Amino acid sequence: MLFNSIHFIFFFVIVTTLYFVLPYRLRWFLLLVSSCYFYMAFVPVYILILGFTIVIDYFAGILIEKSEGRKRKFYLIISLIANIGVLAVFKYYNFINDNLTFLLQEFGIDNPIPYLSILLPIGLSFHTFQAMSYTIEVYRGHQAAERNFGIYSLYVMFYPQLVAGPIERPQNLLYQFRKKFDFDYDRVVDGLKLMLWGMFKKVVIADRLAIYVDSVYNNPYQHHGISFALATFFFAFQIYCDFSGYSDIAIGAARVMGFKLMTNFNRPYFSRNISEFWKRWHISLSTWFKDYLYISLGGNKVSIPRWYFNLFIVFLISGLWHGANWTFIIWGALNGFYLVFAIATRKFRDKLNKLSGIDRVPWLNQTFQILTAFVLTCFAWIFFRANNVSEAFHIVSEIAKFNGPVFYDSISVISFTVLCVVMLLLVELKMEYYKGKFSFFNNRNVIVRYMSYATLIIILLLMGVFDGGQFIYFQF
Amino acid sequence: MFSRTLSRVKKYPVVYFLFKLFLFAVLIFMLDYGIGSLLRHFYFTQKSGFQYLTTYSMEQTEAKLLVFGSSRANHHYIPDTLEKYSNSSCYNVGRNGASVFYHLAVLKSILKRYTPEAIILDFTRIELEERASSYERMAALLPYYKDHPEIRSIIELRSKYERIKLLSEIYPYNSTIFSIIVGNMTFNKKRKEDFKGYVPLKTTMDSLGKGVLKEEKEAGLDSLKVNAYREFLLLCKESNIKLTVVCSPYAYKAEGSGVSLLTGQKIAKENGIEFLNYSEDSKFINNFNLFTDKNHLNYKGAEIFSQIIGERLTK
Repeated sequence: MLFNSIHFIFFFVIVTTLYFVLPYRLRWFLLLVSSCYFYMAFVPVYILILGFTIVIDYFAGILIEKSEGRKRKFYLIISLIANIGVLAVFKYYNFINDNLTFLLQEFGIDNPIPYLSILLPIGLSFHTFQAMSYTIEVYRGHQAAERNFGIYSLYVMFYPQLVAGPIERPQNLLYQFRKKFDFDYDRVVDGLKLMLWGMFKKVVIADRLAIYVDSVYNNPYQHHGISFALATFFFAFQIYCDFSGYSDIAIGAARVMGFKLMTNFNRPYFSRNISEFWKRWHISLSTWFKDYLYISLGGNKVSIPRWYFNLFIVFLISGLWHGANWTFIIWGALNGFYLVFAIATRKFRDKLNKLSGIDRVPWLNQTFQILTAFVLTCFAWIFFRANNVSEAFHIVSEIAKFNGPVFYDSISVISFTVLCVVMLLLVELKMEYYKGKFSFFNNRNVIVRYMSYATLIIILLLMGVFDGGQFIYFQF
Repeated sequence: MFSRTLSRVKKYPVVYFLFKLFLFAVLIFMLDYGIGSLLRHFYFTQKSGFQYLTTYSMEQTEAKLLVFGSSRANHHYIPDTLEKYSNSSCYNVGRNGASVFYHLAVLKSILKRYTPEAIILDFTRIELEERASSYERMAALLPYYKDHPEIRSIIELRSKYERIKLLSEIYPYNSTIFSIIVGNMTFNKKRKEDFKGYVPLKTTMDSLGKGVLKEEKEAGLDSLKVNAYREFLLLCKESNIKLTVVCSPYAYKAEGSGVSLLTGQKIAKENGIEFLNYSEDSKFINNFNLFTDKNHLNYKGAEIFSQIIGERLTK
């Protein structure tokens, strides 16, 4: 079920109403049943895969807690193998097989391994990572094993964040399923406001930008450099609004019922460097990799070359997490390279800043840093969005030529698209630099407040793309 | 009085919430109605542009020969040329991105007013294939939902929630505000000469376009489209309209099984309707001077093709 559908509006109203009507002890059961329904609205049979990992991890958690020494590690490994195994089969099998076929062809050998004709279960990487974080935290002793099978299942399947996160930690979410949340007017309204803003970002901005981006990126040999540059610029905002819009709806929907999910985005395009970008972009995934992979590899408490290696490998795996395609691996590698390069050249860049005198003009320095980080991010997005590696390199070479003409389907489409980016930038600028000032949605004056929400809904009806596709991150 | 009631209601958060929600719903309803009515007014006062052409096709034209189809129909058939051969008035009701659903809806609206003598239905290679975009593009019909009950069942094919969406007065005019503004401006009417619905394409395929002649991956048949196509043919037959289905020229040869084209031909044959296939005609295939892009003839190509069709119709 898509958040940007009428189906979801009905679902949300019914589930939320029942949630507040039912006695506390039955609420987790309602949420579990509705989460199953939510997931089965995509491809019903895939709930069995989810069920498989839930059973394994539930028992693994209990066994890890009960055991000591090597046995604990053994059960953890079983759980990790089950989770990564499911990911490997459903997400990476055909990709690996594809590359094997290519390699064998170089030697004139036919690949005897058959391809699997399967669809990738929606949001597989998200709930697998959430499930893994549970067993790891039980192993580390930070979380007690959950004895109630239903509540553990709900931890993995909680519908607001089931298919595209935020990827929660058990310490933050599990206990909330036992908490008694009453109907709180302010909290409910806050949640609904966040949902409305998320819907606006998705339906009005992301899906509108997608029309231009798809036209250009899906026909790479029919366009020129400036069109690619413009499409890449638009894509940066499209993916941000698509994914952060989803997160806002998820966090808002959970908030209405009383649950507090972690923040996933914090205006990432105002980052002054790539390291800061990753502290503001997809925070739940970045912290997952930091907590469970980067630190396990030794983090920065190792030799400098090893530290660089740790950083690079984490981003390479993060790229692979996003999709079974070389484009994502290159995207991850690029981000890893940016970070390592930034650390390695920090002293030199500081000297250069002092010599040029730019550090004495803070606003100019900051603007320059934000723009540099944005351009580097956009360059990496080319690989993320391109359909394959050769098209990505073609697009890069066309952008380097920076020639015209600029593609536009109609004045109407391009006007809407530009308007969307301007609207977003104004809101984000206000939130980043003028917090508390010019407040519309939280204005004390009830008329201003009401008119602000109403304007958002009217723009949604006027400019929203109601035939837009699913959320980009569902495929991961 | 009101504030006292409000403060009393505040003690019950659920009631307070529902009360505020009701007030907000009333505000949205009023805004939606007001803005929607304004958009509706200006939508139908347009004097140029593609939306005006649709309104004219559905509500005003009385031409004896009509050309139906997508952008390919719109850019391939010149009414002035066809009129010379048929000795009757002609209008091109083709529209960019239109599918067989759109053709059927426009035909139903026209038949409510009058019966044309002849119709040319341009059939694309992918006409009956399953494509989500065909349903999305039916949005062009939404402004006519209210006043044209005969097309409602077609519009409702867009999604099972279409009726609910259409409770909004703004929704039918979604994404059209800029086109409505431009369509009401006199400069646009002066800028865009009206060739009885036909829109000429002036450019010629450049080398970049020639390099990419690949067709979109073939999809399976869409049973709803097949039904709509059958209904179009039957309506013409029942109304004694001389219908000719034409697959106009492409710049390149087709890949795939051609299931859509074969089905279109088969159904036409079953109904005793002539189906002319020019999709791989030797005069046009690989003759890039006559095309603007891989799917569309430019005005030079359209002139040649319209003459061919005109001659054929007089036989």
